[in-house]
Amino acid sequence: MHIMEGFLPSPWWQIWWIISLPIVAYGVYKVAKLTKKMPEIKPLLALVGAFVFVISALKLPSVTGSSSHPTGTGFSAILFGPAITSAISVIVLVFQALLLAHGGITTLGANIFSMGIVGPAIGFAIWWVFKKTRVNPSVGVFVAVAVADLMTYITTAFQLGLAFPTEGSVFTSFATFFGIYAITQIPIAIAEGFLAVLIFNFLSKYKGSILQKLGVLKIPTANTERKVEPQNAV
Amino acid sequence: MSHSETYAEIDRSAYTNALAKCSPITKTFFALSALIICASVSTIIVPVVIFITCTILVLSLAKVKACLYFNLFVYPTYMLVLSCIFLALFFGSGTTIAEIQLPWFTWSIFKNGLSMSITTFLRVEGALSCLFFLVLTTSITDLCVLLRRVHVPQVMVEMSMMIYRYIFLFLEISEQMSLAQKLRLRRSGWLSSIRSLALLIGSLFIRTLDQGERTLVAMNARGYDGEIRILEDFVSPRKLVLLGIVLFDVLLIILLFLTLNIGVV
Repeated sequence: MHIMEGFLPSPWWQIWWIISLPIVAYGVYKVAKLTKKMPEIKPLLALVGAFVFVISALKLPSVTGSSSHPTGTGFSAILFGPAITSAISVIVLVFQALLLAHGGITTLGANIFSMGIVGPAIGFAIWWVFKKTRVNPSVGVFVAVAVADLMTYITTAFQLGLAFPTEGSVFTSFATFFGIYAITQIPIAIAEGFLAVLIFNFLSKYKGSILQKLGVLKIPTANTERKVEPQNAV
Repeated sequence: MSHSETYAEIDRSAYTNALAKCSPITKTFFALSALIICASVSTIIVPVVIFITCTILVLSLAKVKACLYFNLFVYPTYMLVLSCIFLALFFGSGTTIAEIQLPWFTWSIFKNGLSMSITTFLRVEGALSCLFFLVLTTSITDLCVLLRRVHVPQVMVEMSMMIYRYIFLFLEISEQMSLAQKLRLRRSGWLSSIRSLALLIGSLFIRTLDQGERTLVAMNARGYDGEIRILEDFVSPRKLVLLGIVLFDVLLIILLFLTLNIGVV
């Protein structure tokens, strides 16, 4: 759930725009540099953007009864790194605002900050640590994606807490918002982590070559040789 | 309606409405200026005026079907009502309008909490109407051309266009897969539904990469050198209309200052 159009009162949506812009600019700079070096990467990045959009339009079965959607950015950060994920997430969030009325143009800054910057960065950091320690990659994927999802919601609760102060302080209103989110979001974060592990295992089983080529961290150079693979699962 | 049908409906409306041939600069300027004014205020009159203006423009000037326009509001309004009830009941400070004695604490409902929730509700509805005006009257291709005009980095514009194209493709594929899974009892339990979703997303990702390679081959075959060049069919805006929009915005701001002291509750 993103913060919807117009929900944040006046000083806050501008502030989040100002905070997010330089980071997004850095992400765009990274993407521009990468595509200048390897123009062949561009279709792949665009397709990943469409992929993130589509999986965020899928409903995630949740134990509490309410259904939510996977954020997808944690998994994308594992595959492509946080800077590129943040640049792609900007485009995805704009399309979500325009086509789904998820999020909005004025609250785009706040949503970029929670979904495109904090979540992927922390998810990536955790994944990197787990990779160094050489435990089972499934554990790394699970923790990274679940924590990235949770951090996204903690950030959102923090943003809402700042914008809608309550009697005591910012902290109490943050705690209230997070309390509400925690009921639904902790199961969803666990479900998304679990889902990411299954996707990861599925990919390493059927297209291990791609994960290897991505280095699961390094960007692949999309080579032109065609690999004939069975069309799965249709 | 499934997701892809809704998008297709929005897309169709963006190309076929009565304002489709109007300059995208005019439409974007109107929608964004109204949106910024609407999102910046915390009064009740201005968002209502903006909502009514946008609705009239969409329904009578652009001649978009009313059921499509109001259908778009259903889901966000549902979420909004929940959030606003929550804001009204638990937030605010200062004067209370109701105090309920519960055994373990006193639950007080504050006056400014209630007014905050009402202004938030109206602000969101007004802002949404601006957004829907833009989406229903302007095609994404026009918006991309506009983005290029205002010097958004080339890479981002190209990626937006490609992402927009592939969203439709992948939604269709994922709905086909999802239907196929449904027929094979994927929802027989929580564990199996998570597993089927993972299968779906995994095969979608493989499709994605595969399609990426094929797209690249196709683009190379047409002489792709790292830049997509398209002919722009760009209508320039009429100065009078732009002036009218500026006048409308100024009137809104005057209205804002006139109604600044009208309390909500």
